[in-house]
Amino acid sequence: MADVATSVPARFNPWPATVFVALCILAALFLAPTAGVLLSSVKTTRAIALGDLWSVPDRIYLENYAEVLFNPAVHRYFLNTILVTVPATFASIALGVLAGHVFAKLPFRGSNILFLIVVSGMFFPPQVILVPLFRLFNGLGLIDTLWPIILVHTALGIPICTLLMRNFFAAVPNALREAALIEGANEWQVLTRVSLPLSLPALAVLATLQFTWIWNDFLWPLIFTQSDEMRTIMIGIVNLRGQYTVAWGVQGALSLVASLPTLVIFLFFQRYFIKGMTMGAIKG
Amino acid sequence: MESQNRLWRVLLLALPILVFSVLVIWPLLSSFYYSFTNWNGFNRDYEFLGLRNFAKIWTDRLFFDAIVNTTIWMAAALVLPTLTGLFLALLLDRQVRGARIFKTVFYLPICLSAIVVGQIWIWIYQPDWGLLNTFVKLAGNPDFNYAWLARPDSALFAVIVAWSWQQTGLSMVIYLAGLTSIPSEMLEVCEIEGATVWQRIWRVVIPLLTPSTVVVVALSMINSLKGFDILYIMTGGGPFNSSDTLAMHMYNESFKKYLMGYGSAISVVLFLIALTIIGVYFRQLRKVDEIYG
Repeated sequence: MADVATSVPARFNPWPATVFVALCILAALFLAPTAGVLLSSVKTTRAIALGDLWSVPDRIYLENYAEVLFNPAVHRYFLNTILVTVPATFASIALGVLAGHVFAKLPFRGSNILFLIVVSGMFFPPQVILVPLFRLFNGLGLIDTLWPIILVHTALGIPICTLLMRNFFAAVPNALREAALIEGANEWQVLTRVSLPLSLPALAVLATLQFTWIWNDFLWPLIFTQSDEMRTIMIGIVNLRGQYTVAWGVQGALSLVASLPTLVIFLFFQRYFIKGMTMGAIKG
Repeated sequence: MESQNRLWRVLLLALPILVFSVLVIWPLLSSFYYSFTNWNGFNRDYEFLGLRNFAKIWTDRLFFDAIVNTTIWMAAALVLPTLTGLFLALLLDRQVRGARIFKTVFYLPICLSAIVVGQIWIWIYQPDWGLLNTFVKLAGNPDFNYAWLARPDSALFAVIVAWSWQQTGLSMVIYLAGLTSIPSEMLEVCEIEGATVWQRIWRVVIPLLTPSTVVVVALSMINSLKGFDILYIMTGGGPFNSSDTLAMHMYNESFKKYLMGYGSAISVVLFLIALTIIGVYFRQLRKVDEIYG
């Protein structure tokens, strides 16, 4: 049967090629918006105004980036965003670890109901708690500081962090915990020395998810801050629109710079990111 | 041993439950309380209005518009990303060359903030040199400068497209995860039995993807109900409230007009809608669990 190919011509399968071409077209369509911003950010305002936004430039114009990177307001926005994102990411994961351990390893009567209540917090529109939180922080004199944003993101992160940590801790064999307890370890040591070192992937998932969400958030800084000194980068983008009304290139550069941290995290930790998204969605 | 466990439960749960109760549960409950008042956001005092805020809802034309817009917004945000996500997942499930790169491309928008996504699409819809009108001009309509975001007829749909662009990746990965759980033997049997590609997809793959569909649908609805940032930056609810959704309307009444009592009443409606969706979701999830194990 060596001459199969000549006697019975192998049936040409058009599917892989068709699918590949279809995917290429769709990918190009999907990338077009982002590509447009990238292009606009390396062009002069004049070129864009003349309708030359969507062509590949022959000269890369970096002034837009200089304008953004040397703008002291942008520094302020970035610093504020980091001051919010890092502590809130850390705190929400820490609280999720504590609660997740109890729900996974120390269940009690009614713990399932409590777990369900905590997890369902993930699903509610934030508008529902907007007014009372505004009143609370107004009463505490914390409006126009970063504290309410950090606290609220910490609290709103508890559902997803508890959910993922509980699922992960549940997969850690009980025998390990019991052995540690017999050796004289207490519950805290079981959590920090046994369970946590085995759960690094879950921590990576949560760190990427929480960092991205908090960095990208717009609503809470909009509600809780008023002065330009306290604004985060996503509000900054909107504020600077006024300053750079027709300077589309500068706006493009600013959008890209503001997205850089989350883009980098996404590209390097994509695996964790996607896992978190699907786990959070499906196990919910 | 058990008494020690009890101690540890209290110690470990105290902080998370305290934070969650004070900053999520309590505000949720007091939203109901404030919905009966006329608090204006600044004064310490307020009066009780009874059900007057809810009575106002019935006569508020803007609220009615917001309900209509929210319905359109949710329906479209449900159908578009779900279908495109399913389509992409089906294409990518066959081992295509470069599947990983394609997945990254389709998934990338999800890591952008809604503000940046809105900004990007404002440029696409820009009347004079935006990408969309550039294409229309190239297609032989040189004077075309329709302002997509400034016309009441198109504003909401223009934002829906931008939103779908961002959300498609999410439904795609959920469907991809669902596809991996379909045993390949089953598809091989279909092929041997002579089923065409379409029959395989319609009769076997899509029915078997029901659990994923339930998740995607619920998630899309919940996410679109939360959707606020992208509308805020692209249209601000306008023009003439043509893209004003419930979340937008609630924000405007509370933080633009400082009618926080009335805003709370709107948020109570929002809460009840979310609760209904979640209730149906959990029920469907249980049903799916029973059928598909």
